[in-house]
Parts: sequence; structure tokens; C-alpha cells
Amino acid sequence: MSSDSERFAEAEDGGPQPEKHCGHGRGGMGEEVKRKEDQRFITGRGNYVDDIKKPGMLHCEIVRSPHAHARIENIDKSRALDVDGVVAVLTAEDLLEYDLATMPTLMDDTQDVLVNDKVKFQSQEVAAVIATDRYTAKDGAEKVVVDYDVLDPVVDAEKALEDDAPLIRDDIEGQEDNHCLDWETGDEEATARVFDDAPVTVKEQMLYQRLHPAPIETCGAVGDFDPGKDKLTVHMTSQAPHIHRTLFSQVSGIPEHKVRIVSPDVGGGFGNKVPIYPGYVVAAAASYVLEQPVKWVEERSENIQSTGFARDYDMQGELAATEDGEILAVRTDVLADHGAYNAVAQPSKFPAGFFNIFTGSYDVDTAYGTLTAAYTNTAPGGVAYRCSFRVTEAVYLIERMVKVLADELEMDPAEIRRKNFIQPDQFPYESPTGWNYDSGDYEKALDLALEMADYDDYREEQQRRIEEDADKLLGIGISSFTEVVGAGPGKTCDIAGVEMFDSAEIRVHPTGNATVRVGVQTQGQGHETTFAQIVAEELGMDVDDITVEHGDTDTDPYGLGTYGSRSTPVAGAAAAVASRKVREKAKAIAANELEAAEADITWDRESGEFHVAGAPDRSISITEIAAGAYMNKPAGEDPGLEAVNYYDPPEMTYPFGSYIVIVEIDRETGEVEFEKFVAVDDCGNRINPMIIEGQIHGGLAQGIGTAMMEHVTFDDNGNVTGGDFMNYLLPTSMEIPEFETGHTVTPSPHHPIGAKGVGESPTVGSPPAIVNAVVDAMAHGGISHVEMPMTPDVVWEKLDEAGLAMDPADNVALEFDVQSSDEAADD
Amino acid sequence: MEFDGEFELEDVPPEKAWIVLSDPVAVRNSLKGCKYITPMDDDFSFDDYEPDEDLETLPEADPEDVAERAFVEGREYAALMQVGVGSVKPRFETSVTIQERDEEDFIMTATGSGTASGSSFSMDSGMQIHPLEEGEGSRIEWWTEADISGRIAQLGSRVIEPVANKIVGNFFSDIERQMSDVDEETDSGITDRIRGML
Repeated sequence: MSSDSERFAEAEDGGPQPEKHCGHGRGGMGEEVKRKEDQRFITGRGNYVDDIKKPGMLHCEIVRSPHAHARIENIDKSRALDVDGVVAVLTAEDLLEYDLATMPTLMDDTQDVLVNDKVKFQSQEVAAVIATDRYTAKDGAEKVVVDYDVLDPVVDAEKALEDDAPLIRDDIEGQEDNHCLDWETGDEEATARVFDDAPVTVKEQMLYQRLHPAPIETCGAVGDFDPGKDKLTVHMTSQAPHIHRTLFSQVSGIPEHKVRIVSPDVGGGFGNKVPIYPGYVVAAAASYVLEQPVKWVEERSENIQSTGFARDYDMQGELAATEDGEILAVRTDVLADHGAYNAVAQPSKFPAGFFNIFTGSYDVDTAYGTLTAAYTNTAPGGVAYRCSFRVTEAVYLIERMVKVLADELEMDPAEIRRKNFIQPDQFPYESPTGWNYDSGDYEKALDLALEMADYDDYREEQQRRIEEDADKLLGIGISSFTEVVGAGPGKTCDIAGVEMFDSAEIRVHPTGNATVRVGVQTQGQGHETTFAQIVAEELGMDVDDITVEHGDTDTDPYGLGTYGSRSTPVAGAAAAVASRKVREKAKAIAANELEAAEADITWDRESGEFHVAGAPDRSISITEIAAGAYMNKPAGEDPGLEAVNYYDPPEMTYPFGSYIVIVEIDRETGEVEFEKFVAVDDCGNRINPMIIEGQIHGGLAQGIGTAMMEHVTFDDNGNVTGGDFMNYLLPTSMEIPEFETGHTVTPSPHHPIGAKGVGESPTVGSPPAIVNAVVDAMAHGGISHVEMPMTPDVVWEKLDEAGLAMDPADNVALEFDVQSSDEAADD
Repeated sequence: MEFDGEFELEDVPPEKAWIVLSDPVAVRNSLKGCKYITPMDDDFSFDDYEPDEDLETLPEADPEDVAERAFVEGREYAALMQVGVGSVKPRFETSVTIQERDEEDFIMTATGSGTASGSSFSMDSGMQIHPLEEGEGSRIEWWTEADISGRIAQLGSRVIEPVANKIVGNFFSDIERQMSDVDEETDSGITDRIRGML
């Protein structure tokens, strides 16, 4: 174990290691290679959807409903069509002609592309204006007159399930209420028995509020139908171009080989760019109808108000335990808000995602969970915002509940965790809800975090402040989370029926460099560097000799996309396996070049060269082999040096970590300041420590936003009152403290390079640590929970409830002299 | 969202206050951001309509014109309102229907709805003029209930309420001024004549 300040001082130990990895100076595994993609990003040469310009390109603006629930009585296009430069106005009626008025969601619901009958959420797409430039399209959109018969909306999941709630989904045959789905996991009776007999039980209600992933680039597309080739190209902000190609083909009826999806540089996805949105379909349909390219790019508020939200799980958590803190059972009941359509972006057999990993890092035999989901008059969503399908909600639940239990038993929250952790020798560990954890060493990560955080000192300081009735309270929060990432395997995980494998294709060129194409796509994660490092490691090449391509379905092998931390666990494995296939063929060529038997050729990871066994000086590099493959191929071998691998993971991977957050709370104002923020992560073998650290920093910032600031809110009329960046607060550098990161390494035993994936650990792991810290500061006042986002007013209310608030008025008079009236008159 | 209130005009008798509040032009002049209020027939077009800017109100106006254009129960009016709220300044194309005009008790109620780019509202409003218990003056009671949707509503009540309060506040202080002018410069004969014509 080591903190990152001394990250290469110690060998990466612990757990099984399929192959030994460390830097060889070629930019392979474990080296801090600078990101290849940054040259174009920091010099302004990125190419995003909105940068794409095509001759004759038209622009699309979407007319959206101001009402959350309303029947459309009439749409009058005439005033819009009178605007100079407006080429067309499309409504559902027009799309019906092409059978494009509806589209399937990723959960097999049917969503209107443009509203045909009834608006179901505010800002839903009602009409599209196509014009010669963006301004004219906007002017035209203002002139589309829509008559609405306004209906009562319901924007709260609990109210939506009441008997007298307005029916939202009257388009579904037989649907009589707003009930969307039920789900359960675990053993109800066994869990009830444990709870009945348990010496200690605790219960807490907590809302994981509605969030928006808010990528810096909003969604957009350029539809480009080529009538000469009968081919539809859609440049779009897609986290999953291939599955989007399949869906576009199914929706449009255009054969899949005549559809090309290009996802160029994408400015952040965070799950927001996994679903298909009406704007993409409209841009493509308009291009098909008008036979001209059509661009559609969202505004910020459109992105927040109409594209996939995340979370919105109202959870009740319960723990049963012994008096000395051994957890006997976990039980939970969830009310989920799915919005107006069931459009959660999850593997189809997991209607509640991977929420049933809610027993977390703890060895618990018994668990039971239920969930009810409701339709509401809000935008559809439930995307995996920088997380693996509801693992965030699960981690929040268990890590909050462990703190609740610790406080109930007056135990140290670190000790109670230690007491219940799954032990290293228990792996592979099967959880009571059916997960098969690959590897872990939770105590090691916690110990390192405690040491880095000066835990014991801060506990003493906390006590001192309580005793001295200090103005600022200290709180220490811990989260020892376990994630489940890297979906497939294909037998259990699919998106719209397509199994969740992934792929990589390697072509080594005659001059010894290589092009690698992967089935996953990047939205900023650094794939062009990370995948190049995997191939560099496995082929003994220099990382600078490898170019990684992605995001174009015409050239890249089929893949399921980047989300749920699946790129490294799945496509990364494919890249390693494909490299090893190339290595096998390279051996045959090496044997030919070195005039030895193929069986006698070995590959040396350290030098990256092939040599005759027992004669390391008779060696040959991959560059020389590449030349041989094209210019001097062995008899009986095919020319060329390339390989492709489609990788179906045997299991998921289980990254973990321990975060410790120390906060100071101002008893007058309720403001929370971060005193210390320690993040220890274990993502198995590490490919690029610098990229990992960048990922951790970004995810922690988003975790702070979640815990402290962000919430998509609605008023009773269904108006989104958190629908722009004035009302939906994101953290800036001003709100982000210094992070201290550290790591342990426990490789995944089943992954070809022992890696687990890391991009989402910080978003998943940090919110409960932050909330636990704030609760911890007020625990001596009897506070067991504080709802997110913990804005100063929310915290102050809790301080007040606990009798810990200080009246600011008492101090104001002391700090500010009242200006005398004479001085005031001079001003 | 609900707003209501009342104010008193010590010297203006209910009959005169009623005349002023019955005049669409006087109402328009007091309503900040209102471009016009005009009867709306089937052919009315917000794109084409050009309001007459120089209409006089009492005391200068011809009493017959004032009587002619006064609000009529059951009639629909078109109004164009431009209001700045936060960072947006939508132009609301509004239709207002006078639901009730009680000439005896001085009650007038109206419903209306308006749309602007990405926003819409509907409202239910009313007012009643009561004679003051002492003296000749009036007490004017008013109320309105508005439902706001879309971009403006998203700004939240913290942004909308001050704007609405300001418009309403300006309206009544301005209409109060108009009433006082009418009271001081128009003799009862003229207002009685107008009342007779209504």
C-alpha cells in the first residue's frame, strides 16, 4: 500500500497477479504517459458535433411544451413558415408518414419523438423548425402556435401513486394508474426472521435526490442522409455508437449497413449520452426528408430539462445487528421516480440496475430489498450518472446505514466497518443477493485512509470542540465502498438485446507502428492513451507508435459503449487479448527471421522483444517483426500482422476504496467547509496513475456537487425550477478542496491485465462520506441523517433541531460597529 | 400564484373610480409593459395589429369615446404584454375575457391567458370598489390568481414574485393618479353621462 506521493516507491503487492506489470520505459502499464488527446484539446483543435459544418447544412430548433401535462389540440405552423429562411416545420403528424413518430427507450417503453397527443413533461418535444441558420430556426420556433388543453400534473412519485392522481400513461393499454414497475431481491422471510430476533435494529429514510449529469457539452447531432448511396450518417454525441446504430436502423427501417454513427470528440457524457433522444431522431429524419444535412444542438436548459436525469431514489434502509456491532441483515424499500417514460439506461434484465449490491463491503448473510417505480410528469431518465447502474444509490444506502448503526451503538464508525468487512480469504465472495465479488482487501484500504487522514488526532480535536462549546463543529465521515462495474457478462447483461461484450482490433503496419480500434468510445476518459498503453505493454511497442481510434461505426468493431466503468474491464481486456493474439503470430514471424523453431521463441516483457529461448541476445523487436510480416512472410502464413478480439467478460469487477472526509460546520450559518478529503482507491492493476488521479479528482468534485449543491426541483405545476445553471448549482474550483489520494492494488483475478476500472468510484464513494461527516459533527445532538444537497439552510435547520445552532445576531453586533448617523449622512 | 390587496382613495367616489377602471386605454397606460388592450375578433392577428398610440384618457378624452370603448361583459380582448423577468423579456400575446361587470356593486372579473416563447400563463382576476364608510371615497379591493408555466416559471417564485408585485404596485399607484386627475378635473356631470352611456 502507498499514498500517491510515494506511488512508485513500493512494489504493487497483494493478491494474485496474472502477469507482472510495471513501467519498462515504453509507456506501458503503470507509466504516467501524458494524454495523447490533450494536444488537440488544449490547442482548440477538438472536433465536437457543433464544430461539424456541411455544405447546405440546415439547422433545427425544437419547440418544447411549457406545460408538464397537456393535450395538444392544434399546432399552427403557418406563422413559422412565413418567417424568411424557415424551410420546414415538423410535427408528429409529419413523422407518422415515415413511421418515425415514436422511438423505443432502452427499457422497451415507447417515447414520442414529437408529441402526438399528450405532453407528459415540461419541455417535451412538440415540433421542430428547420431553417437555413440557427437564429432563423429559433425565430421560427417562436412562431409555432400550439393550443394546449392543460391537465393537472403530478411531479412527485408518492403523490403519483395516490388513487386520485392524474393518469399520465393513458397511451399504454390497460394502464390505470402511474405504477411503472415492482422489483425485489433477496429472501423476504429469512430477513424478517433475523430482524424479529435481532438485539439491535436501526432504520432511516433517505432521498437520493434527482441529479443531472450536466456534461459540459450538451447533446447534439448532424443528420446527413446521402440519397446517392441511400446511406444515413448521423454525427452525434453518443456514448454508445454501435448500439445507437442498431437502434437507428430498427427505428428507421434503413438497413444497418446503410447507417453510420459517428461520435466525434464528446465533451463529457456521465451517462447522459447513453439514451437516444428525440433531437437525434428529428435531425436524422429531417435530413432524410429534405435530403440536406441538418444540425441540432441543445441549449443548456434543454439538456437539463429534457435529457436523462439520474438517481431519484427515495430509500428506506434498515440494519439488524448484534449489540457489539455485527451486521446480521440488511433490508431496504425504495420508491423510484422514473419520469414520464421508463427510459432507465440499464441492462434489460436489471430494472433496478445493480442496486441489489446494497450489502456493500460487508459480510452479511441475509438481505431483502423491494422497489416500486412510478411514472411522473417529469422528463424520463434514471441514467447511470458516472456510476454503474444504481450502484451509487446502493453504496449511499449501506454506507449511511453503517454510520447510523455505529451512532446507535456508540461505536467508532471505522471499527464497525472493520468488524464487518468481507475478509481477503473469502474471495471470490458470493453476496446474499447473488453478486460474485472477484477480489478485495477492504481493511488495507481503510487503514491507509485512516493513517493519511490523521484519524485519531481529528477524533480528539472533535471531542475537544464539543467540550469547549466551540463555534465550529468538526465531523469525520467514512465511506468504505465496493462497486460492481464492467458489464457484461453477456449472458446476464444486454442493452436492447445485444450482449454486453466489447472489442478491440489491432493492425500493426509494415513500418512497425499500429492502429488500434476499439468498440468503446471516449467522452474525455483518455482512451487514446490508456488503450495505447495496454497494447504497448502487451506487444513491447512504444506508446507513441500506437494510435487508438474509436467512435465511428463504419470502421470500429462493434461494442456496447462507455458507461458503468466498463471500458477498461471489457474493451481493455479485449485490447490485451487481441495484443496477445498478435504476439502469437509474431512468434511465427520471429522464428522465421531468427531461423529457429516457433516453439523455441519466447517474448520478454521487460525488453519487449522476442528471442530464442536460452539465447536472449538473439532477439528481434516488434518493429522488425512487422516488416517481416509484410515483406518476408514465412511460408504457409498469411501476410499481415493483425488481430481482433470480442471479449465477453466471465464476471464483473469490484473496485473498492475508503474515503475519509473531515468537515467543519459553522454553527451560526450552517456552512460546511472541508478540512480534509482523503480518497484511497483500489482499482486493481493501474494502467496510467496520472489518468486515474485525474478521474478521482473529477469524480470527487461531482460527489461534492451531489452532496452539497445539486438538485433538479419542480413546482406543483410541473415547472422545472432547477433547470438551468442559475438554479442547478454545480461546484466550481471555489467549492473544491485539496484532495489527498492514495491507493492499494488488489488485481482482478479474472481480468487479463488484472484491472478493474476506476472512473466512477469517486462519484459513487464520496457522497456518503460527506454526509456521514456532516451527520458526525451533529451526532452528539442526536442527528442521525441530513438530506442532500446539504445547503447551509438545510444544515442550519439540523443544527437548530439538535440545539447546536448559534444565533448569528449575537455575534453581528460585536463584529460590526453600527455606523453613526453623522457618518451615514456624509455618504 | 396568488396576489391580492386593496387601497383607498379618500376623495374619489366609487362612480369615478369605476369609470377609470372600465377604460381599456386607462388600464393600458397604467400597466407597465402593456402595448395595447383592444377588442379581439376572429380575424385578429398579433403579427399585423398596429395599436393607435395617441388615445386620450379622461379628463382630456371625449366622454363618448370613453363610453364607446369601455369594457363589455362577455367580450374578449387582445393584449400584448412585454415583461422583463430575470434574464428573459418575453412578449406575451394575451387574450382576456371580461366575465362579469356589475354596475351596481362595482364588481368586475376577468379571465385571461397568454403565451410567449417557451412560457405561458393563465389568470383569474377580479376587483370590487366599495364606498368608504366615512366620506365620499372608495376602497378598491383586487385579487388575481395566476398559473405560470414554462421558461418564466422555471425562474422560480423568488424571481417572479418581485416582478409581479412591482407591476401590480405600479399599476395601482398609476391608476390612483389617473383617478385623482379625473376626480379633480372632470365634473360629476361628465362621469355620470359616461355611466349613463355604459
